[in-house]
Amino acid sequence: MTGWATTDTAPASSRDGADGGLPERRRASLGRLLRAEVRWIFRRPRTLVVLALLAALPVIIGVAVDLTVDGGATPAGGPGGPGGSGDGPPIFVTMAASAFVLPLGSLMTLLMLLLPLTVAMASGDALAGEQSHGTLRGWLLTPVSRGRLLLVKAVGVLVVALVATGLVVVSGMVTGFVLTGTEGLVTMSGTELTVAEVLGRLGVAAAWATLYLMAVGAVALAVSASTEHPMVVVVGVLGGLIVSVVLTQISALDWLHPYLLPSSLPGLVDLIRDPVSFDGLLEGALRSVCYLVIGMSLAYARLTTRDG
Amino acid sequence: MAVPRTEAAPGAAGVALAARTRGLRKVYRGTVAVDGVDLEVPEGAVVGMLGPNGSGKTTTIRMLLGLVQPTEGEIELLGVPVPQAADRVLPHVGALVEGPGFHPFLSGRENLLRFAAAEPLLRAGELDGAVSAALERVGLAGAARKKYRAYSLGMKQRLGLASALLAPRRLVVLDEPTNGLDPAGTQEVRRIIAELHARGVTVLVSSHLLAEVEATCTHVVVLNAGVVVAQGALADLLESGSPTLLVTTPDADAAVETLRGRRIPARPAPGGVRVDVTATEPAAVIDALVRGGVRVEEARRERTGLEEAFARLTHDVGELVGELDADEPEVAR
Repeated sequence: MTGWATTDTAPASSRDGADGGLPERRRASLGRLLRAEVRWIFRRPRTLVVLALLAALPVIIGVAVDLTVDGGATPAGGPGGPGGSGDGPPIFVTMAASAFVLPLGSLMTLLMLLLPLTVAMASGDALAGEQSHGTLRGWLLTPVSRGRLLLVKAVGVLVVALVATGLVVVSGMVTGFVLTGTEGLVTMSGTELTVAEVLGRLGVAAAWATLYLMAVGAVALAVSASTEHPMVVVVGVLGGLIVSVVLTQISALDWLHPYLLPSSLPGLVDLIRDPVSFDGLLEGALRSVCYLVIGMSLAYARLTTRDG
Repeated sequence: MAVPRTEAAPGAAGVALAARTRGLRKVYRGTVAVDGVDLEVPEGAVVGMLGPNGSGKTTTIRMLLGLVQPTEGEIELLGVPVPQAADRVLPHVGALVEGPGFHPFLSGRENLLRFAAAEPLLRAGELDGAVSAALERVGLAGAARKKYRAYSLGMKQRLGLASALLAPRRLVVLDEPTNGLDPAGTQEVRRIIAELHARGVTVLVSSHLLAEVEATCTHVVVLNAGVVVAQGALADLLESGSPTLLVTTPDADAAVETLRGRRIPARPAPGGVRVDVTATEPAAVIDALVRGGVRVEEARRERTGLEEAFARLTHDVGELVGELDADEPEVAR
């Protein structure tokens, strides 16, 4: 009752319990929100389909390469060792199916389109998809502040990127081990690698690829915050990537290349060399961080001013 | 969960208000959706928000809940300003706005669990129980594990209602809650509103079903073309219409003639005449009739129905009554 006179003018600091009889500010823990978000992501049928596809592709590539080797002109040679001489399979073929190069190669191939597609899809569903189902409103009304909502959504996309990259690398590695055992763990420079070194390099590759995908995801979230059609997000982001790739091929535009995200991709090849040159990888990582910061800022600006 | 119940902001009459707006205005790309709305929702009342489609009901509700930034004006919900302090007040507000929004590939229960996870008033251990209770309350317990995609329109609407009732609320805002419900479902919504009312929860319900509002609400707000044309207690609104006296007589024509001769507006009605008694005492009417030799069998005051009051209110201002069933324009999005 005493709150009557002060309701309108009460300073924010003295609000707790004083006016309107509302208890102090409370909110659901971030962990709870994240758990709900991740559960939702992995209950979505299309997420599961794409992830299954991503896990299957390195297996298909590996088996295809291995069959090429077996079906070649050397019926007696079998999957020869790394030192395969004259009539054994050429060393690069064995290498291509190895537990080192197969996951890296698969990752590089899939980073061109399928992995960005996966992330763009997740980002599209995260905001635009929720908006189109009217469920974004539900979150805002409970309430979840828009900043927290974006954080939860970004973490959700990160989880998808991590899982997708992890699946490709692990699936490629396991396929490689099954097909060629620990043979062929050779760099392009000809040096042999221990299993531990291979794991280390694959870990770096996965982390780098996840960062690259988060750059894509951040831009996708910015688009996602501005539309209610998830398809617009996927088409827009993939279209942008394809245009970028085309632009990187035009040498007259080489001044533009440092600003294009796909310019980072060749850096991944350096992981197959010995010693590894980290220059390209670092430059790519920096580029990804720039895209990440710009994308998330745009997404935040758009989401906080948007009508729910 | 016990929420301390002190009074919210007092209104003009000193009544505590669960929601109040001052000069609320919203312009969408040059189209004025809501203009100068001064809304007052007394605490503990069941307020029916009436208006033709496109009259600004949904836009007003969306601004109340902080979903849409008003172009101008102030909003106070349970005594705190919105949208500035929306995160403080919204946990105490349950809402069903613009139809239910859920994911088709999840079951009703999973959908609710998702929102329950974000409810600040529910502890981690209470989520399951709260979801079950809400489903029970709207009669969906049996279909809880069915995919939302397989729900009928009425079941979807009920699930939306359940999400509004997930946590203990002080204010429940329902936008067209009976849309798509069969008569039994409509009845159930009435029961739920009555239950909330009995527990002292304030309810703001928008509808264009007049009978619905007349049956459930204590207060009414009538919007037309983005402007509040009337608000107050339902009984007051019903009485505010021009009062009429229904006189049963076999001499209807003579009665009309007599009354018009005395400058009392009257017109024939089935079984007699209907007399406008805004400017005349009923007793004077009877007296005039008797003196004029008209046989009066019965005379009684007529209570105006909400439908008539609504038609009068919205007709006077915008002549929009005929568009009651027109589709909601994009403006409301």
